[in-house]
Amino acid sequence: MFRRVPAVLPRCYSTKPLPKPSLKLVAELRKLTDVSITKAREALSASANDVDLALEWLKRDYITDGAKKAAKVEGRVAREGLISVAVLSPGARGRGGPGSGGVRAAMVELNCETDFVGRNELFGKLAADIAHTAAFISEPVDSDALFRNCDLDVLLNAPLMCADDEAWDIPPRIGNAIRETITKVGEKVSLRRAAVVVHDPLQQKQPELALRVASYVHGAINRPSQGRIGSLALLALKSPNLSALLQSTTFMENLEKLERSLGRQIVGFDTQRIRSDSGEKDETALYDQPFMMLPGELSGQPVQEALRQWIIQNGTAGEGADTQALEVLDFAKWTVGGAIEEASS
Amino acid sequence: MLQLAVPTAVFRCASVRSSLAAASRSSAWKLARESLNFTSRRGYAEVYSRAKPHMNIGTIGHVDHGKTTLTAAITKVLSSQGGAKFTDYSQIDKAPEEKARGITINSSHVEYETANRHYGHIDCPGHADYIKNMITGAAQMDGAIIVVSATDGQMPQTREHLLLARQVGVKRLVVFINKVDQIQDPEMLELVDMEMRDLLSTYNFDGENTPIIMGSALAALEGRSDDIGSKKIFELVEACDNWLELPPRDLEKPFLMPVEDVFSISGRGTVATGRVERGVANKGDDVEIVGLGNTFKTTLTGIEMFHKELDRGEAGDNMGCLLRGVKREQLRRGQVIVAPGSIKAVKKFQAQIYVLTKDEGGRYTPFMSNYRPQLFLRTADITVSLTFPEGTPDAAEKMVMPGDNVEMVCELVHDVAAEEGSRFTLREGGKTIGTGIVTKVIETA
Repeated sequence: MFRRVPAVLPRCYSTKPLPKPSLKLVAELRKLTDVSITKAREALSASANDVDLALEWLKRDYITDGAKKAAKVEGRVAREGLISVAVLSPGARGRGGPGSGGVRAAMVELNCETDFVGRNELFGKLAADIAHTAAFISEPVDSDALFRNCDLDVLLNAPLMCADDEAWDIPPRIGNAIRETITKVGEKVSLRRAAVVVHDPLQQKQPELALRVASYVHGAINRPSQGRIGSLALLALKSPNLSALLQSTTFMENLEKLERSLGRQIVGFDTQRIRSDSGEKDETALYDQPFMMLPGELSGQPVQEALRQWIIQNGTAGEGADTQALEVLDFAKWTVGGAIEEASS
Repeated sequence: MLQLAVPTAVFRCASVRSSLAAASRSSAWKLARESLNFTSRRGYAEVYSRAKPHMNIGTIGHVDHGKTTLTAAITKVLSSQGGAKFTDYSQIDKAPEEKARGITINSSHVEYETANRHYGHIDCPGHADYIKNMITGAAQMDGAIIVVSATDGQMPQTREHLLLARQVGVKRLVVFINKVDQIQDPEMLELVDMEMRDLLSTYNFDGENTPIIMGSALAALEGRSDDIGSKKIFELVEACDNWLELPPRDLEKPFLMPVEDVFSISGRGTVATGRVERGVANKGDDVEIVGLGNTFKTTLTGIEMFHKELDRGEAGDNMGCLLRGVKREQLRRGQVIVAPGSIKAVKKFQAQIYVLTKDEGGRYTPFMSNYRPQLFLRTADITVSLTFPEGTPDAAEKMVMPGDNVEMVCELVHDVAAEEGSRFTLREGGKTIGTGIVTKVIETA
């Protein structure tokens, strides 16, 4: 009914009046950007039907119009979304790997209104990029707190980095990238929280000590690094023969397996602290829980005992073997829509 | 015909299944009493003579594209013909409060009917919520209306909307392009139409033939511009009537009765009792006993209900089946008596499973591959081994947490009659830990 036989009229190449954007161009611009039809038309009208100019126009418009849209949806509740984890450097490793062996990882929560948007690739990529950026730009600090919450205002003003290979010429600020996503999906999108764990390698000063970071995300849909519940844990490894151990492929494989198990254990069980506060057995204390998520013969033992056994089995034998240890120093566990004060101390 | 629609609506409302909210049921009764005063006898009789087929329909779409307005508009427009009770915007849009209280989907507090069908209407606020409700049986969509605003066109998440419909087995959709009065250039509607058909085809829907209706739900609700308002709403429900396929009714399906108990009656033979799940059986019919490693054919020599003999038993009946030449040892609880060839005994299948949370009475802790709970399907109770579908990355280390919706492969210790869409529950140590729905049969016995 609404279809019309398109009347093909010869068009003059004058600037006035502005040419009506053709269906084809609007469709093309939408394929490139995912913007709404109204917006695509507006962009083309304002740039005399030139797609490249329209793209430029849109980039500017994301900031101004995006801010308007963001203000409009501000009052709404956004409790869906993703926890996204980025581990740029998992910590100490053999000489083979790149980097210095420091720890550099981040976890962020990006919210939206429905899980339809939460499952969308556009939103997932944004969350992954923000986590990547948070991990990338954070400096190691000399403080007792191993995990730090990021200042969200600083983060929102930081340039967004691409987690995967493709990159843009001029990176947008994170805040603007969020506004762009709001324009495209029409839902409130907000960066709820971000935390980082960044440390320089210890091997220089304390050659028998190493830091490692373990992570796990549950409920992943598109990317394994993002889902409904996420955990980051910082481990310390102590051994008189550490550098030799870190060179061993078998040791590293076993260590990584253990780390993944710890990540799952923290997420899968109701884990709120590492040790029981009262000294009595506490199911919410990691060390008191049965280590169900660890495959093999140590499975089901209390986590603390399992870690002790594990280092005896996998560490070096001989002199100083009894001083070897593996500890969980700290961890953070977040659930989408969960309270902000969930990160454990 | 249209005048008669009022009492039809009334009685249909009153007899809708239990899924109807109590509130709407009581109001339907009130309406019934009022309308009886001026209903002729002839109308009364005709109402009883036919019940319209029922269908559950859902709206899926972006939060701002007008799902609620459309739902309200449908009830308003159809109420003018007596096909619905006008359900206001505020009454429909309870979802946010209910969501805040932890109720995910209020299935079916809206209903309406056309000349041919009765519809229960649900809104679909989220993917995970809907999947959970579908698996547990709280909500069911047999068909769906995708709502898209003409000003925006399809959005990035429209893909996710279609994926959900696909995943839950909706084969056909109707598209409503809303807010057509808000665009300046009608040519753009062509683009919306084109893009939508493209996307539908991408996700294996019939993009070419899917009805796409363009109108304004708000206009219909406010009773203005009938051309894009009420007229389009009528077009929409007509498209639903014509395009969306009715799910087969229980009575029309092939006969199936789960065996609950087996008796041996001297001088007569072996009798199996149970409640007929679907279909109709007549005395003298050939039937097949399926499941638990012992599948064979025999004849139904008698049907008994309340100690009286019958010629015919149908869905919903609690009855006893007298079977020719069958020994008591050949029959067991957990088998089914079916129309021959209508269902197979299955050893291994893939299923969509919802794992109950601690608060729902389920497990406290996660489980991994090779978890072995008890599977209850109809009257059968079988140990099952749960693994991840082939090709799942890191399957050995993958865990399933309470509250998860997950696709898993179920391998049974004994075979049991099952097919796509069969529901089951998973129990362990005396408590229900999950519920599931068969999505694909992998291996038959």
